[in-house]
This record gives sequence, structure tokens and C-alpha cells, in this order.
Amino acid sequence: MNYNNKKRTGSLISIQDSLVKARFYDNVIMGETAEISVEGKSLQAEVLQIDPDHKNTDAGIVEMQVFEDLTGAQIGDMVEFTGKPLSVLLGPGLLTSIWDGLQNPLYKLGEQDAYLIPGMRAPALDEEKLWEFTPSVKAGDVVKGGAAIGSVPEGRLEHKILVPFNLGKCKVESIIEKSSVNITETVAVLTDAQQIKHKLKLAFRWAVKSPIPFKERAIPSKTISTGVRVIDFLAPVSYGGTVGNPGPFGAGKTVLQHSLCKYALADIIIMAACGERAGEAVEVFKDFAELDDPSTGDSLMNRMCIFGNTSSMPVAAREASVFIALTVGEYYRYQGYNVVLLADSTSRWAQALRERSGRQGDIPGPEAFPMDIPDQIKGMYQRAGADKGTGGSLTFIGTVSPAGGNFQEPVTQASMDATGGFWGLSQDRADAKKYPAIDPLAYTTSVYDSFVSWTDRNKMLQTLMEANGIDQTISTIGLKKVPVDKYVLYQKGQTIDFCVMQQDAFHKLDACTRPDRLKVINEAVQKLIDSSIEFSRDGLEDEELKELVKTKFDELRQWWKDWNSSAQSEEEIAGLSKHIDQFILQED
Amino acid sequence: MLRKEINKISEVGKALISVEGNPGVALNHVVELLEAGTNQSLSFAKAINITEDFTRFQVFNGTQGLSTQTKIRMHEIPLTAGFSYNMLGRSFDGVGNVADNGPEIIFEKQVSTRLDTLNPTVRLVPKQPLWTGIPMIDVFNTLVKSQKIPIFAGPTEPYNRLLSQIAQGAQADVIIFAGIGLKFDEYHYFKEQLSQSGNIDKTIMFSHLAGDSQIKGLMLPDVALSVAREFADQGKDVLVLLTDMTNWSNILRNVANYQDQIPSLQGYPGSLYSELAKRYEVAADIEGAGSITIIGATTLESLEDPVPDNTGYITEGQFFLENGKLKLARSLSRLKQQVNGNTRSDHRPIMTAMASLLADAEKAYEAAEVGAANDAFSQKLLRYRTDFITNMEEPFGESVELEAALDKCWDILKRHFEPTETGLSKKLIDQYWK
Repeated sequence: MNYNNKKRTGSLISIQDSLVKARFYDNVIMGETAEISVEGKSLQAEVLQIDPDHKNTDAGIVEMQVFEDLTGAQIGDMVEFTGKPLSVLLGPGLLTSIWDGLQNPLYKLGEQDAYLIPGMRAPALDEEKLWEFTPSVKAGDVVKGGAAIGSVPEGRLEHKILVPFNLGKCKVESIIEKSSVNITETVAVLTDAQQIKHKLKLAFRWAVKSPIPFKERAIPSKTISTGVRVIDFLAPVSYGGTVGNPGPFGAGKTVLQHSLCKYALADIIIMAACGERAGEAVEVFKDFAELDDPSTGDSLMNRMCIFGNTSSMPVAAREASVFIALTVGEYYRYQGYNVVLLADSTSRWAQALRERSGRQGDIPGPEAFPMDIPDQIKGMYQRAGADKGTGGSLTFIGTVSPAGGNFQEPVTQASMDATGGFWGLSQDRADAKKYPAIDPLAYTTSVYDSFVSWTDRNKMLQTLMEANGIDQTISTIGLKKVPVDKYVLYQKGQTIDFCVMQQDAFHKLDACTRPDRLKVINEAVQKLIDSSIEFSRDGLEDEELKELVKTKFDELRQWWKDWNSSAQSEEEIAGLSKHIDQFILQED
Repeated sequence: MLRKEINKISEVGKALISVEGNPGVALNHVVELLEAGTNQSLSFAKAINITEDFTRFQVFNGTQGLSTQTKIRMHEIPLTAGFSYNMLGRSFDGVGNVADNGPEIIFEKQVSTRLDTLNPTVRLVPKQPLWTGIPMIDVFNTLVKSQKIPIFAGPTEPYNRLLSQIAQGAQADVIIFAGIGLKFDEYHYFKEQLSQSGNIDKTIMFSHLAGDSQIKGLMLPDVALSVAREFADQGKDVLVLLTDMTNWSNILRNVANYQDQIPSLQGYPGSLYSELAKRYEVAADIEGAGSITIIGATTLESLEDPVPDNTGYITEGQFFLENGKLKLARSLSRLKQQVNGNTRSDHRPIMTAMASLLADAEKAYEAAEVGAANDAFSQKLLRYRTDFITNMEEPFGESVELEAALDKCWDILKRHFEPTETGLSKKLIDQYWK
């Protein structure tokens, strides 16, 4: 974009909720941001549309959404166009930060007031903090956009200082020696082919709607250990993959997100709390800070950053918050890190677009969403991916909150279409307190052989499906008419469901299962599925035999559940396999 | 100070008026409507849409009797609410005017009704249980200080009785009652209950009766919550009762319709979620100050209706009332995990085990309807289900302490099952199955 340096202004001619119109005489650029002066405060806005002014042919009308509450705004209030699109500041200090949806650090704002008052601002990253910069290029070297000119340590990570991605080939004019600098100081000067000088600092701004490029995009291939058994067994996700996670309220989306936050193996977790409860984001940054990162033993917060545009914050900033979070994810991917982005909820993001398009008077699509909502959702998920060139990845897991729990609604449908994986949460399972309530029969995955082979996984799934079928039969015609062998199969499925698919997210040991333990469980499950169990008939009638079968399986389930929450030593873990062997032979 | 006055009302609708051009009023600022000639005050109104061609206002007292001659006087401030400790024990309307026969109140200060978002960093993670003496809540869905939770119920259910029972037992310094679209008998019932329980002196009632001006009902939660917030900022633990938020949402729908907004689902505006969230999110435990807990009522025909559906995504769970019983299956307290791990060791496991058995029992109950629950275990489940509904899902009755309620749970299990059938660990069985 070519931005004008001259100061360009306009004045308000219409105000409703978060949408304003202004008259301008100069030039306005689609997508640029503007500052509106309201009662001495400056409010941030974004240009949505430019129209002719029928009252005044010398002028134009610009339509903008304002990211803050407009109370007190009047006709004639001045608008100043910035020439810059909505952007995010990228540099060391991103990790451990907690921002609002526009990258204002919430702790800094909290020093000004307990409430978020329109117009309040604070620098996105700490400008005082000193970072130990080590250069990796020297004067005279030639670099281009995306190249590292040095690095600083950020917690346990090496944070590379990159040349902004839009620069072409440049010559390093000068670069500082190894030293401590803050993010406002110049560390290097580059000259581009047009002989224009670029001063590089530790941080730079990047437009959030311009995806940061891949070095060499690749198909996601390595599976993430999420610690959640039903996911890792049946619906795994890869580094760089995408997942849509819909569920009616109360089906356990939040608890699942928190589990992923705590246990998913990744270098960095970004949380975009988009239009959801403030309390949930607070729990993450206040309580999770006390927990340990599963791979490093550090505080969990050291691998996280949080964008909290919670449900009572300005709706217009919701859309921005997801794009800002995505851009930060892409930035760390370019540095070679595995990033998992949790967006809760993409439905609130889509609703923000719906509110806006409604106010703009657009002709509505299905359920009043903008007609192009499926394309916008696809575009968003497409920014995730694996980069062979850098070795990094950005995984995008978006929750979906379907109205009325109806998966046919437009956002859920578009998400199914846009993602490689789909974890559908079921109301019935949640009502029965079977958590996580991911329906083992309602999901998709694009990952095949992972922690267990595709064949083993399908056998497990097949058993669950058959048991589910028998369950339906029992409900309609009664247990009496179900043959004993079918009843045993049903009990096998129930056992896999109860002991493997269900997991206690609040139990210290049961909450997270790693691949080594998954392997032990899988062996036990496969043995159980393949075996014909030798219940001694001893002249029992079918009905009596079925009762015996139920009692035996009840005992097995109780034993296995105890194992889930107690087995820790190698010997105890191996005990599962032995116990299954004894069970199959019906030995005590 | 002489305030600017104009008289060029060009349009009078059901709850809205418009004037030609732009009289210099700012967004959300308040104006006063005066009768031409007598200058008698008719109503206040709020500017909601301002353009250079027209300005639109919401009229607090309704538009009946307004004319194009009616005068508009500028006040140049947004709507505020009066605040004073003298408000305790008193009744107000939806915009904070005294609505009882008591003496006039001299307010200590005026507070903003904009409901600015609380900075999440000053929120405390809620950790303090609010015991109600109702086993279905205390054992299965523990209520936590600063929680926001509605009662979901059909329009004929005793939801106001339940709301008032919870309020009477709850520990709070101040109770703010916010009633929207109430029938007179409901209003009267709350007043009686609060008086009888001795809580009236710490209660402020904001009431909007069915048939009162819609805009006053629309404003009511903001006024009530702003007053609640001021008490919390001054260190008080405040309990807000919001009933019935479906009435409030319906006013919101009407007003959106008067403004020709494009409806999303069942005529509600696309902003329904954000509008509800803005109010419920006022609930908080504030670092260095007090707290606000919100218990609401949401009447519904079906859970899929937009109001309960959106509410469910906003609040921290819901209590589901059906046939006078608090139903376990659809009730949920999202904050219970914050507190129920620090009670008795059997609290969480027995809660899970009983819920799981009840889900199986519901299946058996459906099967029994077609004569397919004829095996012994199904019969056990059916007897358990009846016992559970009678003894656990009944919200009205004697107050029960938590430990006694947990013991009652074990008694029910023992009446119907063998230990291994419960899915409870051997350790717990050894300790409690006596």
C-alpha cells in the first residue's frame, strides 16, 4: 500500500453503536485505521467502506467501525486517518503477555484504572526492558525479508530478530555489537535496492490481515501429543493442522481447551479468548501460571500469551483479536517454533461480523450471517500450517458455539469444511457426565498412523460403533432378546468407552496420558477386542450368564479406572496387560 | 445553567422519536421532553442514533401523548444512576426514580451506567463456595461467590420461589433485586419474602412491571448493576437477582424492530449475545474490593430458543427447573470444580458416579416405556431413578448441610446397588459403604 504522509482528516456525520460515517475531502485508503477525537479522547477505528457523497461532490463518505465505546461522540467530531492498517507489534516480550483484543497490555491498563475506559492505551510490549542482543550478520552482508540479523533470549527460547518480511534484498549498513538493548533502540541499519535506509529494532509492526509468508509450506505430518486420550487415539491433530471443535453450551469446550492449554506438547500456546467469559481467561493466566509446562518444567505461562477480548468488551475488536493472535503465531512459526493457537470462540468472531454487516445494511445470508462467512472462515484456518523451511508450525484449534447446539448452522458447517479435524461434543454424553464429551462416533481427522496404527484405531472405533448399535437394540427390544455373545461385545465397548475414552480432566494423573502409556492401553484394548472370554457357563441360563458377564465387566472397569488414577511405576503400568490376560482367561 | 431547548420532533413511533437535523446532542446522552406551553416534564430520552439529517431517541416513559410540538431540553450527560446507602430497603423504577412512598433520597453520588468492562487482571479466580442448603446445588452444582448463573424454567415453573429461596440463604452484604416485566403478584411475592427473612434492610428493589414503559425495562439492568457495582467497589459482597431476562430480551427485540434492524434468529437482533454478556459479565470478585454474584431467571419454551441458548454460552452454568424439580441432567455449575475438591474426599467421585447412573437410569426409563427394561439391572436403575428424583432433585424443603447431603447420597446408592456397580473406587467404597 502506498501511504500519504500528509495529515488527512474527516468529520463525523453519522453515529450508531460502533459504526460511524465521516465526510472527507482528501483521500482515504480501504482498511486503514483512523483516530476519532471524542470528548478529548482518541478512539481507534478501521475503514470498512468508501462511498460517494451525494450532498457534496467534492467530498466522499467513509464508513468505519470503532473499536471502543462511542458514548459522547457528536456530529462534527474530528477523524484523523493514520495511513496504516490494523497491525500488531512483533518482538521479544510477546510471551507471558496478556492483552486486550487490540494488543493493549491488560496489567498496564490496570495500573491506570480497574475498568477499561474508552481511549485508554499502553505500549504493546515493554519498552524499558533490556534484551541481550547477539548479532548474527555483519556490516556488508546482504539480507532479505525474513532473515535473522541476530537474536535475544526470551525465556527458554531463542527469539530471532527478523528483517521485516516485506523487505527485498538489503545490504547491512551497520549493526551493533553484542549488547543489552530495549525494543525502541536501533540495532541495525539496512539499505535496500532503491538506496532507502531501514532502521531495524528488536520489534516491528505487521499488518494483521497480511499473512506472514511460509518459507516452504509443507503438509502437516507429526502428531501432537495432547494428553487427551480420545483425541490422541481416535482424532489426532498434527503440528500445523486445523481443528474445529463445536459443542452446545455445557458440553465441555472450556475444560477441553484448558486441558489442551496445559498438556499439549508445543513450544508456544496462544490463546485468543474471543467474545467468551472473562473468568475463563483469568483462570488461565492466574491459576495456570502456578502449573508446570509438561515439556520443560517451567511455569506454564512462560510458553503462553493471551489475547483477552472477552464477551463484554467492544464487539468490533473481536474480529481484530483473532487476526492479531494468528499473526503472532505466524511470526513464531517463522522462527521455527511449534505454536498451537486456541481460538475460543470462532462463532463469537463470526457474530461480530454479523453485527457489523447488519449495521451496514448488507443483505444477509443464512441466519443473517454475511453471505461470504464460509470464505472468511476458510481464509482464517488457511493461515495455519507447517513450514518445512523453518521447521516451525502453527496449529489452529477453534471452538465453535452453534446456536441451539445445531451443527447444521452456517458457522459449524463452514468450520467442518475448512478444517482437517473435527471434534464434535455431544449433549447426550455431557448430560451423562461422560467427559471429555467428544462423541467417539462424531468426528473427523486427517491424520492416519499416529500413536497407534490406523488399523488398531479402526478396530477400536469399530467396537465402539458395534457396542453403540447393541445399546440401541437393548433400549428398543430389551436385554432378554440380545444373545450372550453380542452382550459380551457390548460390555467390551462399554469398557473401552468408560476406561479409555472418558478421562478426568481434574485428576492429577488421569488428566494427561502420554504416548508411552497410550501404547500400553492400546495393547490392552486390542487384546480385549480380539479375545473370546471364557466365562464358565456351569449350567447357567442365558439371563444368569448375562448377569455374571455384567458383574465381571463391572469389576474390570473399576480396576481399570483405579489404574488410570494410580498406576505410576513401570511395574504398576505393566499391570494392566497382566490384568487383562487374567480377565480373558477368567482367572482370579 | 440554562440548557439548550429545541422543538422540531419530526417522527413519533412506539418507543422512539426522531428530530430533524442534529441538535448538538452526543451519543447516549440524555434529553428531557417538556410539554409545549406548560414546560411540564413528560419524560427523559436517550440519543441512540445521530446523523447530520436526523437524531433518534429512546423515550423512557413511552411516546403516548408526545407531539411534534413537544420541546426537547439538552442535558449533555449520559444516563447516570443515583447512589446512596439510604437506598437500602427502598424501591425504584428502571431508571432509578423512587417508586415507593418513602421519603425523598439525597444521593451521595451519581454513578455511570455505561457498565465499562472490568479489567480481567483485577478479577480474582473465584474460590469461595456459597452454600444454599439445597443438596442438588451444594453437592452436584456448587454455587460460588461471583458466579453468574440463571435458573432456566418454563413460564409456569416456581422459578421465582427458587430464586428467593437461594437469596435468603446466601451470604451477602447487599441484595439488589432487578425485576423486568414482572407481574404484580411476583413483585409482591419478592417483597414479602425479603421482608419475612429479615433481608429487606439490605435489599434495594428495582422493578419494572409488565405494561410499564419498555425503555424503562430496557434500562433497568444497567441502572441496577451500576448501583451494585458501586457497592462492590466499596468492598461489599453484592447478590443481584435478575428476573426475568427473557422479558428483557423481548424488549430488546421490540426496540430493535422499531429501529428497522435486520433480525438474526426469531426476530432477535444479531447483538443479543453481546447485549446479554455485557450485563452478566458484571459479576466478578474484584481484587481489593467486594464482589458481585448474579443469579438470574430465564423463562423458556425450549432450550434452543435464542435467549436461553445465548445465555447458556455466557453464564457460568444454569439451574434447570422442570416440574418443580431441579434437574441434574441439564443443570451445571461451571465453577464447582473451584471449590468441591476442598470439601469431603467423596464429594467429586460420588457426584460423578450418581450422575452417570442417573443417565443410565434415564435410558432404562425410556426403554421401559416400550417394555424393554425387563432385566434385573434395569429394574434397579428404575428404582434408583425414582428415589433420586424424590430425595435429591427436590429444591424446596428443609435446609441440609453438605456432609449430611453427601451421607444421603451414599444411602441412596446403598439402597439400590452393589459397590462395583457404582464405578466408585475401592478406596472410597471401603471408607463410606457401611
